[in-house]
Amino acid sequence: MNRVVRRLASNRGRATASLMLIAMLALTMSGCDVIETDTPQNTFDTRGEVADKQAEIFYVAMWPALVVMFGVLGGILLIALRYRERDPNSPPPRQIHGNTRLEVAWTIAPAVLLLIIGVPMVALIGDIDADADDDAYTIDVIGQRYSWIFEYPEELDDEGNPLMTFDNVAHIPVDRQVNFRLRSVDVIHSFWVPKLGGKRDVFPCLVANEDADPMDVPDCEGGQLNELWLVADEPGTFAGQCAEYCGLEHANMALTVIADEDEDFEAWVEEAQGGGGGEPAEEDATPEVDETASPEAEETPESTEGEGG
Amino acid sequence: MATATVPRRSALGEALAGVRHAADENPGSLLGWLATVDHKKIGVLYGVSAFLLFLVGGLEALLMRTQLMFPNSDVLTNDQFNRLFTMHGVTMVFMVVMPLSAAFFNLMVPLMIGARDVAFPRLNAFSYWTFLGGAILINISFFTGDIFDGELGAPDGGWFGYAPLSLPEYTPGNGMDFYAIGLQILGLSSLAGGLNFAVTILNMRAPGMSLFRLPVFIWMTLVTSFLIIFAMPVIAVALFELTFDRLFEANFFNVDAGGNPILWQHMFWLFGHPEVYILILPAFGIISEILPTFSRKPLFGYAFVVFSGIAIGFMSWGVWVHHMYTTGLGTIANSAFGISTILIGVPTGVKIFNWMATMAGGSIRFKSPMMFAVGAVAMFTIGGLSGITHSMVPSDYQQQDSYYIVAHFHYVLFGGAILALFGGIIYWGPKFTGRLFNEPLAHIHFWVMLIGFNLTFFPMHVSGLLGMPRRVYTYDEGMGWDVWNLLSSLGAFCIALSVIVFIVNFVYSIMMKRGAVAGPDPWDARTLEWSITSPPPHYNFATIPQVHSLDDWWHQKYREDADGNVIPAMAGAALATEVAHGGDGGEEHGDEHHGDIHMPSPSFMPLIAALGIPIMGIGFIYDYALVPVGATLLLVGIYGWALEPATEED
Repeated sequence: MNRVVRRLASNRGRATASLMLIAMLALTMSGCDVIETDTPQNTFDTRGEVADKQAEIFYVAMWPALVVMFGVLGGILLIALRYRERDPNSPPPRQIHGNTRLEVAWTIAPAVLLLIIGVPMVALIGDIDADADDDAYTIDVIGQRYSWIFEYPEELDDEGNPLMTFDNVAHIPVDRQVNFRLRSVDVIHSFWVPKLGGKRDVFPCLVANEDADPMDVPDCEGGQLNELWLVADEPGTFAGQCAEYCGLEHANMALTVIADEDEDFEAWVEEAQGGGGGEPAEEDATPEVDETASPEAEETPESTEGEGG
Repeated sequence: MATATVPRRSALGEALAGVRHAADENPGSLLGWLATVDHKKIGVLYGVSAFLLFLVGGLEALLMRTQLMFPNSDVLTNDQFNRLFTMHGVTMVFMVVMPLSAAFFNLMVPLMIGARDVAFPRLNAFSYWTFLGGAILINISFFTGDIFDGELGAPDGGWFGYAPLSLPEYTPGNGMDFYAIGLQILGLSSLAGGLNFAVTILNMRAPGMSLFRLPVFIWMTLVTSFLIIFAMPVIAVALFELTFDRLFEANFFNVDAGGNPILWQHMFWLFGHPEVYILILPAFGIISEILPTFSRKPLFGYAFVVFSGIAIGFMSWGVWVHHMYTTGLGTIANSAFGISTILIGVPTGVKIFNWMATMAGGSIRFKSPMMFAVGAVAMFTIGGLSGITHSMVPSDYQQQDSYYIVAHFHYVLFGGAILALFGGIIYWGPKFTGRLFNEPLAHIHFWVMLIGFNLTFFPMHVSGLLGMPRRVYTYDEGMGWDVWNLLSSLGAFCIALSVIVFIVNFVYSIMMKRGAVAGPDPWDARTLEWSITSPPPHYNFATIPQVHSLDDWWHQKYREDADGNVIPAMAGAALATEVAHGGDGGEEHGDEHHGDIHMPSPSFMPLIAALGIPIMGIGFIYDYALVPVGATLLLVGIYGWALEPATEED
């Protein structure tokens, strides 16, 4: 048995290993043609300023990382080939215990390299994490298990209530900063539209100042209100989904952002206000949301024995 | 001290002493194992338990990968999937990598520092039994659902248990109660272990074994122990708060009552990031032992490797926010933690470069442990570098909670920790079984695992960058994720195959005793454990060795001149002198002195005390009447422990 196993390891095993490696590489290569990159949530197929900059800063880290990776892996391979023992009876090699200069060098060099890539990082944080411009278009995003509600405080009806949509679709004007004010009525969600930009968590927030002007920043009594601004550089439909595990149907908590040219956007607002999906007329935002936000009815059949502690 | 104060015994005491005596007489019997305080046996128990749980966690992963192999498949329901990924994380972190590391601490620390046991042998036994109780407690939660209807009862709030999702309002049922209480118990076990090993390493070293003669594995164990001592209380507080919220309607995290959900995240990750290094530093230690042995050359830059490990230990406390970049902490917090996170790459890089320099100029023997160690260095490097890409805060906004992160930490924790731990099993296993693993089978195990690992986790980088979020039980076609998920799933089965090869190797080489006889020093290694027989006598060293240098055992075998050139001719003579000196537990020598060596007697008290804890846990979840039962057992165990003499008089 031993001999069989050994032969397998030395010849066939190695052949199989290299074959699989080649197959994998080939697949990766061909992947560039066969596998689409024009996919709905590709973080590199960017369509907005924020996503562009995030992809750029990824490359700032990725290229040095790749150089170091091939350096280290190549180095290990070369060392393994060069210094492998050829004669099992050879005496131990010269005992080298270290070299302070070398070690100081490879402590300081990575520190310097990392601090250098840290500079554009901090600059970009200051850039995209800054507050939205004053003329940014504001949309309130309300996450609830397992859907999204969008509220447009800039589009009031006759009674002063903001336009709301309940179909997980947000319309935004193109080429303009859109400031999403994020809050949840239950657990933590995360608002993510990859082609427009990276995500921000949606925390529970009890709105204390419901009677205030809809444009006022909602005042959270508990929890916190997060904001995230994004820009769409071109009209289009962009897929997104909840990125923070939020329960049973987390996988299906998707959303769509549609960026419209200004006139199309205005037309959509008018249509929506004229009795489209919204019907926000009589009710206040929060009670309406709360009602839909107790999906326990969907939950309980899944876990029947709930008593105990 | 205790011996002097127990002159008389009750009948019950006599009976207990009788059982204890029986356990002492038959160390190989079931009673002997239940009462053992021998660090080697406890190490074996840890190792076997952790490996069985590795199979459980692996099975959970296979089920998930089967579900995700194709889009829109319905192998698992959403509920089953969510419970499985929660349990996979909890199992692999707390019940596999940590206890597997603990197994190595137990097996290796006394042998490598020239001691006969750990500082607190009974506390050591208590650690193990508490771990086992906690592990069983969490895993039985699977069966609290209507299992025949496919309803699992396990925790379903994610291993990270984010509030308020983890509150009963959103995760009804008992799953998250098992999570909170089970992790609390496992944390207690780790804490006891951490204290034990810190004290052991600081106080039990053989004469001459100064701190800077400690093997690097021992150094990493020491750093890990301190991380455990400081990190476990943090998660303990968080878990107590969660438990209070769930069981007694406290409002730590309940927003409606003014609680704060982000409090949980800060506590969880303030524990969680040191935890990452608790998982990886022991593996770094193992790599730092294997590479020099098989390169036949000392570790390059010992002091730098040690200090970089200590630096990692300190820095690990200052990076937790990188798990929380997207929570909206603001520009200052994100910038500061972004910089600290990229800088923790420095000490890690130092280690990698020193390992490469250790191999360079060596005469490398590519035995299977070496393959695993080198593989671990390479895979960890990839994981570390992908870590740099998402330490960049704005870049992480896209990658946070995507499969890119899943790829990253599996490169670190599977590619780094698990590969190194397998290397450690094959390297040190023979010391305790007396048999070497079958070398060709171990090589097959390595290559199949390495290929399967990369096939599973490399594509996850791509699916993550294509916008696939984590923790989704299904996905639509047309997202561009199909191929990558298929590859990941095929890779997972490849990993499973490699684990089967390992099991076959274990059965063939160890259990069927077909492996070559190891002898005391099969690898021509460098550290003290190889100076004694395999398996070691239960007292380890007949005479406590006198340590003269780093890599003391190697220096007993070889001499080197000022330039580091090895003078092998002196080896035999030098060895003979050392043995005559009593520096080495030669067999005949040992037996002579056997009668004089007093080892701590076995004790059932740690087992009794540890048994009480999960019973209390179950009581809190189901029926408070069980709480006093468990508490009584715990108290009886602790009192018995305090009152019984550590060493039974003859």
